[in-house]
Amino acid sequence: MSGCLLQAFSGVFGDPRVLLIIVAAAVYGIFMGAVPGLTATMAVALLVPLTFFLDPISALAAVVTVEACAIFAGDIPNALLRIPGTPASAAYADDAYAFTRAGRSTEVLGVCLAFSVAGGVLGTVILALFAPQLASITTWFTVAEYFWLYLLGLSCAVIVSRGSTWKAAFALIIGLLLSTVGLSAVHAQARFTFGQAELFQGINFIPAMIGLFGVSEVFRSILTFDSAVTTPGSQATAPLSPPRSWSQWLAGSVRSVFGASLPLLWIRKWHAIRSGMIGSLIGMLPGAGADIAAWVSLAVSKRFSKKPEEYGTGSMEGVSDASCANNAALAGAWVPALVFGIPGDSVTAIVMGVLLMKNIKPGPEIFEKQAVLVYSIFLIFFLANLFLIAAGFLAIKAGGYVVRIPRKILLPLILLFCVIGSYAINGSYFDIGVMLAMGGLGFALERRQIPLGPVVLGIILGGPLEERFIQALSSSGSAWEAFFSRPMAAALGVVSMLVWLAPFVISLRQVRRLLESASGRLSRIRRGSS
Amino acid sequence: MKSPSQQFLSVAAIALSAACCGCQGGDAYPTAPIVLICPWSAGGGTDQTSRQVATLLERQLGVPVNVVNSTGGAGVTGHTRGALARPDGYTITMVTVEINMLHWRGLTTISYRDFDPVGMLNRDATAVFVRQDAPWNTLGELEKHIRDNPGQVKASGTARGGSWHLGFAGWLDREGIDPASAIWVSINGAAPSLQELIAVGVDIACCSLPEAQALLDARRIRCLGVMADQRVEQYPGVPTFKEQGVDWTFTAWRGICLPKGCPAEVRGRLAAALENVARSSEFRGYMGSAGFDVTWQPPGQFADTMARVDEQLGKLLTSEAMQSIEESRFGPMFFPNVLAVLGGAVFLGLLVTGQLKRPEQTESLSLRDLGRLAETAACVMAYVIFAETAGFLLTAGLLLVFLLLRLGNRWHVSVAASAVVVALAYQLFAVGLRVPLPRGWLGW
Repeated sequence: MSGCLLQAFSGVFGDPRVLLIIVAAAVYGIFMGAVPGLTATMAVALLVPLTFFLDPISALAAVVTVEACAIFAGDIPNALLRIPGTPASAAYADDAYAFTRAGRSTEVLGVCLAFSVAGGVLGTVILALFAPQLASITTWFTVAEYFWLYLLGLSCAVIVSRGSTWKAAFALIIGLLLSTVGLSAVHAQARFTFGQAELFQGINFIPAMIGLFGVSEVFRSILTFDSAVTTPGSQATAPLSPPRSWSQWLAGSVRSVFGASLPLLWIRKWHAIRSGMIGSLIGMLPGAGADIAAWVSLAVSKRFSKKPEEYGTGSMEGVSDASCANNAALAGAWVPALVFGIPGDSVTAIVMGVLLMKNIKPGPEIFEKQAVLVYSIFLIFFLANLFLIAAGFLAIKAGGYVVRIPRKILLPLILLFCVIGSYAINGSYFDIGVMLAMGGLGFALERRQIPLGPVVLGIILGGPLEERFIQALSSSGSAWEAFFSRPMAAALGVVSMLVWLAPFVISLRQVRRLLESASGRLSRIRRGSS
Repeated sequence: MKSPSQQFLSVAAIALSAACCGCQGGDAYPTAPIVLICPWSAGGGTDQTSRQVATLLERQLGVPVNVVNSTGGAGVTGHTRGALARPDGYTITMVTVEINMLHWRGLTTISYRDFDPVGMLNRDATAVFVRQDAPWNTLGELEKHIRDNPGQVKASGTARGGSWHLGFAGWLDREGIDPASAIWVSINGAAPSLQELIAVGVDIACCSLPEAQALLDARRIRCLGVMADQRVEQYPGVPTFKEQGVDWTFTAWRGICLPKGCPAEVRGRLAAALENVARSSEFRGYMGSAGFDVTWQPPGQFADTMARVDEQLGKLLTSEAMQSIEESRFGPMFFPNVLAVLGGAVFLGLLVTGQLKRPEQTESLSLRDLGRLAETAACVMAYVIFAETAGFLLTAGLLLVFLLLRLGNRWHVSVAASAVVVALAYQLFAVGLRVPLPRGWLGW
């Protein structure tokens, strides 16, 4: 074992090319993640032709680094402009943006970076220590368990939303209904397509997300434009006098990015570990990835928080826990891919293609036969997270300039990038229309203070949820048998039911209190009249 | 000394010309980047093949070949887009066997007749997998069990009506068993179906051999037979259906097609380049190590194959047996109806409790506000309408100038900012990241 580890070390560190590739991939990954509409999957897919010319270690180094950096970089537009760069950031868009509005964008991004790196490292440790054992969890999950897991993810989106639970539930149902447009995955029959060929593909969640968050924000800013004199965040980030030397600038920048985040990481180390574990476990399940991990850990974080009322309106706790979990989920997705050849998400699906091309066959033996490679993957994950610190730091500093662009110039540019981002994912003009329509919807919903996060998650998870729902029902005799006959399914079912019933019980209590006070008043009136 | 506005204009002009280096001239096809439409999502087998072909085709043709995943609708979206593209040779499609199924199921009017074939690249046969500890050792035993216990065995591998399902149902139909005697659990994709198989959610999984290779090697599952004409080279231990006395073959294929009506010289040039790719050692090496088979068929032969498979599948799909299993107890409107009821209840609840009223801190929209919103939306719509003809640079540039002016920027600032941003965005996305932004009148 130690021999293999040494070999892996020399393979990764002995070759300067690998390190060069990691640096290049980090820059590329940051860029792809930071532009809304360009996802981590797309970033990795575009790398595939390049990996033909690389040796396996370099190819994997490129993929892992791009992925880790892209998921963090999704936080940058998420915090600065409230447009999630990747779906994994959508869970805490409102929280992170609230800090930018208060002029604390560098601080919140510093926290995102520190916790992303912590999450990435934790995910790697879990992957390295328990991969073969944990992979067997995958074999417990049938359609019934997935159904409950997706429902749990959706419930979390409702729990974490600020304000009325009913409004969040309403938003969720809008999202779920939007997801039913197009060809249903189970029946392969068209629904709500009105004979339009474009609607067959349904509502793609990337343009929908860009529209709901980005375009609606552009709409809102255009209206409030005249009254808003300054750009949010500009006062705090703009230095009053130019720094006297380069080293001084660096010291100042490091302090502004890490000054608040590192102490917070130390204070919240147990929370980070909890979020990291949630992230790895969810990331490990095929079909559940970084986005669900962020929602679930955010909900757990809110449930056990001493300040749950801050969530949704600017909670550093929420931002830190969720950004930790989504990076931890990345390494988790490699577990079933390496052990069973079942990819945990679309990125690992591409990775499997790369591995097969290099004549490396995933499977339980990979840990014995290809031990050097497996150790190299672990090392690369660590290295990628190390480089993320540097690349992320520079990206945050560069992002600081974005918020300093005058708003009257920035708004049209945001709109342009929203249009390109929506178009880029499928090369379809229809998607630009979807983006615009969702922008209008998001604008209207926000005016009624209905949260947008649950709409996005509804669109993302609606399809899989329906699939599992119908599959479980149609493959068994009764609904009971479908959802509760397996112990794992029953356990997950009870948890999701509790999650749903808890707020209901609370609101029942409120109703009772209301009734009591009403009857009290009534009896007082009666007493007064008698 | 130039005035500030002149300076801005010259900066813009320099930026424009500097970013213009991507322009190409000349007449012989191809002179511009080619878009390769992949109707399936990134990471899957078709996507892997597409990207490999794109890289190698690029070297043959000397222009970039960009893969665009046009997914959704069980393949309808991508195939429709490929068939309806301008027949100039700059949009090609990785057509898959689903083109022979979709129109029979009434999902689209597009069929193989809407394409000009360029060449078939690979074909993979359906194989039948069971868990390692399953009680069946041969195809015959499994068949007998399904025959004797209708409605007991669950199978999966793809969505209902997908290619692997047709292979499975066609086998049962051929043996005189009602295809509905095995429950087909409609799961999208081979990977989640295999996961369901090892999690004891289904008893049988049907997919191609390479898709199941890792689990096969790990001895978690066994393969009872493959629906190919002869044993697959990479899997000599797997018997064919024919060897086991079942006269049934079913293969999924992939190939490159052009939209109908391309000039003959374009088709010829592309077919020659594709043949070089298919015969290259790199392509064969990649496909071999990924477990895919390579079967090259030139345009004529490929056209015959498509016509033959179309007929075979047409018979199967229109047969009574298949019609009966197309219907499910829980129809496509079941889930939306459940949601509509829930949504209606929540909406009523919100109405009754008065939570849908406009909160006090938001002001009502004035006519001027509505005008500004409509104007912004109209700009996006104008882009959608004009970009394809006028091109990205012109449309996006002009609309950006308009929006910037409307937000109160001075005109030279607007023009300069638009020129720089649009040119940079084009270089970044179209040249760097290969997003097929429309070229239009400027031909850039």
